[in-house]
Amino acid sequence: MGRVIVVTSGKGGVGKTTSTANLGTALALLDKTVAVVDADVGLRNLDIVMGLESRIVYTSMDVIEKQCELSKALVRDRRVDGLMLLAASQKNNKDDIQPEQMKAICDKLRTTHDFVLVDSPAGIERGFSNASAGADEAIVITTPDVSAIRDADRIIGLLQNARIEPINLVINRFSPQLVGNGSMMDQDDVLDILNIELIGVVPEDSGVINSTNRGIPLVYEDGSPGAQAYMRIARRLTGQRIPIHNFEQKGLLNNIVNWFTRKK
Amino acid sequence: MNSKMANSTVALRAYRDGLHLIIRPHLSITEVEAAIQQEISRMNRSLAGVSVQIDLKSPTLKKEEIELLSSKLQETYDLTVRGVEVADEPVPPPIAAAPTTHVISQTTDTRPPRDSEPSRIIPHTIRSGQTEEFPQGSLIIYGDVNSGSEVKAGGDIVVLGTLRGSAYAGMNGRLSAVIIAMDFAPLQLQIGNYVNRSSVSQEPRGYPEIARIGAEDVIIVEKFVKF
Ligand SMILES: Nc1ncnc2c1ncn2[C@@H]1O[C@H](COP(=O)(O)OP(=O)(O)OP(=O)(O)O)[C@@H](O)[C@H]1O
Ligand SMILES: [Mg+2]
Repeated sequence: MGRVIVVTSGKGGVGKTTSTANLGTALALLDKTVAVVDADVGLRNLDIVMGLESRIVYTSMDVIEKQCELSKALVRDRRVDGLMLLAASQKNNKDDIQPEQMKAICDKLRTTHDFVLVDSPAGIERGFSNASAGADEAIVITTPDVSAIRDADRIIGLLQNARIEPINLVINRFSPQLVGNGSMMDQDDVLDILNIELIGVVPEDSGVINSTNRGIPLVYEDGSPGAQAYMRIARRLTGQRIPIHNFEQKGLLNNIVNWFTRKK
Repeated sequence: MNSKMANSTVALRAYRDGLHLIIRPHLSITEVEAAIQQEISRMNRSLAGVSVQIDLKSPTLKKEEIELLSSKLQETYDLTVRGVEVADEPVPPPIAAAPTTHVISQTTDTRPPRDSEPSRIIPHTIRSGQTEEFPQGSLIIYGDVNSGSEVKAGGDIVVLGTLRGSAYAGMNGRLSAVIIAMDFAPLQLQIGNYVNRSSVSQEPRGYPEIARIGAEDVIIVEKFVKF
């Protein structure tokens, strides 16, 4: 039986879709079978980020309305073995789907896949309850700023009430430089407030936008810091124990280097 | 002038620089001594070796009386007087002859003492959007109270973590209610109908702090040094 993991955040635009696409791909690259599910009904874009937009014929709505079989609605990613996408309908809105219907889909997908990753819409309303309905685990994405953390905290409370466990945290768009000069919260500040397990830190990476535009998840080109961060998170998800990469230490070193070069 | 101050005689208060013994104006030395005895016995613990600063509101006791009082505090309670300060602003005498042998918290609060009320334990962190309310008594939180969350209690609120959200103690009007947190960085504090107006530090100081209604009828936050 596969694991159903909802990727969620509270605040919008912090990198849920980017993370779902990259973690799904990374897990497939690690020889796992993966289904990524877009639960952002009405505002779908997981398919775009994964570069599969043009191949979508059916969506989860068609499955719910019994217009097609679930297996037929899954789009296979041809670049890697074992990766499938279930797209969201763009014509409908979040209220057209019931949490039980999402749960039924997830329960079916977990019989054929090691991992089912559900890309949640932002917010705490219906879209969130739909996305989390079938999940037993969660990955909460936050950026290291006060408002995103506050909303992540809110979501964590809701996930805990729904008995979803474990809840792992990804800090996205982390910038050692900004932490170094005191304008961004560091890892410990974030963890101090949210007090859940940290599964990874993804640095601010200009490659992300480029990869989104081309529909090629970052992890296919594993050179960038963002890609490496997502690969490490995927390994941790499969149970490998690898230490959390400390971007800050590097930042400190940079600062010292900067300091010396400035002195000259 | 509010009745709370007019009716009270002496009060022991912990401030950042240590313990203060606040003595109201227009009192005889015998009234002061009786009130001190009552205030100290109310505390239920020895003050031996503790140093105290005496704050006098003028018009006040005579110089000899103050000296006598200092030596009595030393002899009877083993309290060291580290200083005497007289507020220069004279306070007019109370309009009516009010009973004077009362301590602040007793005159303003006729409810049963805090240890006879129930308390409720919240064994986890309270997160944004969550509210915990316990009008019947005190709340003890084994975790943080995060920004965007709210805790309300009829009695005290004790946070064994960081207080970042809003805390409302004494929600039924108990003005002796206090808010204690291991780390204090609240968004908003309320005790009874007093809302904190003075700015409370948003940065935890690294030691436990307590919020209570102070002598000047505002919520004061200070280092927590036991009851
Ligand atoms: N690590 C990163 N470095 C740089 N840019 C990033 C990073 N992660 C995400 N972004 C950018 O942030 C934007 C929002 O990302 P994304 O769409 O993944 O967020 P989301 O949480 O899914 O948003 P929504 O709430 O709208 O669904 C995108 O433009 C993306 O390219
Ligand atoms: Mg998204």
